[in-house]
Amino acid sequence: MRVVIRSHLLVITALLLGNLAGCATPPPASDPDAVAEFKETNDPIEPTNRVVYAINDGLDTVILRPAAEVYRFVLPQPVRTGVHNVLSNLGTPVQLGNDMLEGKPRRAGDTTMRFLINTTVGVLGVFDLAKDWGYPDHDADFGMTLALWGLQEGPFLFLPVLGPSNPRDAVGFGVDQVMDPFTWVGQGAAVRALDWSRLGVSAIDGRERHLDDIDNIKKTALDPYATFRSLYRQHRQAKIEDARNDNRATIPVWFPQSATQVVYSPSR
Amino acid sequence: MPNRRNLLIIATATLLPGMPGALRPARAQPATDSAKAFVKATADKLVAVVNGPGTPQQKRGTLTQIIEAAVDVDAVARFCLGRFWRNASPEQQKRYTELFHQVLVTNITGKLGEYQGVRFTLGRAQQRDEDAVVSSVVERPNSPPTNVDWIISNSPSDPKIIDVIAEGTSLRLTQRSDYASYLTHNNNSIDALISAMHQQVAAEG
Repeated sequence: MRVVIRSHLLVITALLLGNLAGCATPPPASDPDAVAEFKETNDPIEPTNRVVYAINDGLDTVILRPAAEVYRFVLPQPVRTGVHNVLSNLGTPVQLGNDMLEGKPRRAGDTTMRFLINTTVGVLGVFDLAKDWGYPDHDADFGMTLALWGLQEGPFLFLPVLGPSNPRDAVGFGVDQVMDPFTWVGQGAAVRALDWSRLGVSAIDGRERHLDDIDNIKKTALDPYATFRSLYRQHRQAKIEDARNDNRATIPVWFPQSATQVVYSPSR
Repeated sequence: MPNRRNLLIIATATLLPGMPGALRPARAQPATDSAKAFVKATADKLVAVVNGPGTPQQKRGTLTQIIEAAVDVDAVARFCLGRFWRNASPEQQKRYTELFHQVLVTNITGKLGEYQGVRFTLGRAQQRDEDAVVSSVVERPNSPPTNVDWIISNSPSDPKIIDVIAEGTSLRLTQRSDYASYLTHNNNSIDALISAMHQQVAAEG
């Protein structure tokens, strides 16, 4: 059995390496529309990316998707929401670090309040009460931080296991792992087991939340790879713009002369 | 003593008509209001059918009517073909547009038909360039709440939906990149695209 798996891995690796040098052929300069589209698509190593996509898709079909379906079948929605909230709460240290690196004090405040409220009243993060109390969740990761620092995304990449990305977000993912205190806290078999379970449950939770959407895309898209590529890039861009445009004032509500109260009154 | 506020009002009132830029906010308000009302009416109709009684087949007929009335499908179709629209013959354009109507309707009704218990919450509306953008939150069973923006053209005279933006991803932009990629990998043949769409519609029934 092990030999079978190893030989499969060999074939996959050979395929990967054989295509690693595979670059998309740019259209001729005589067709400016096609050239513009090639640049817009931003996928110079498309043939390689498509091979990785096919492998990921295969792994997803036999492992992750079935696991997510079992997960959905076994646990009712409120329990799954609770699991998602706990995972999201465990992610607050990294989120807070990135809020601050992005220079977004109000976002950092939201994240801190969410952590304090949900960890205590929300029973270790199971219930997202903070959302109803005026501290909604938002995305923050080091890929976004780099974007706000002015770094371009770079060419589109489809990474093994991790999926759609680009050099900026791939580096960001690595930095987020280093930034995560749970990477450094504790040692021994029990802690390692907890770390791996967190990773596994995160993957299944994320997959379960998008079961219907991904099924729909695969059913309706003529070229699912191109559709996922477009969706990933648009979604990232939207999250980055959300963060960039979040310039809420930092004057506290209890301050006697908050920004809204300072108005010119002509009758004086 | 005539206070300064009155003077200011008079000055503003006399100056305003001469400033086309200043007129815009005054007109934008009704446009976004009517766009909001339009989205609400359309969404209410859709939600009522989706959550209502009937088989998926029965619902599909009603949903098709609502979508065809509310969405500027021809404009969306043209947008989704992008630069290839100009290269297409009038005959190809006609067949493509017809098929696009069916693909869009089957895609949307296929998605909506599966859900029971959809909830729709209307958000704020604002003007962006020529179009109105109406925000909303859509909640479906088994999925996290989704932020959905509706792009409305020609409000208030003849409002039509020209794009739907779910979690920052534009439906028509995504569709266009799907078609563009398919065409690039099939020798830019619009006939190949048309036959692929044909198969899609046939498979969906």
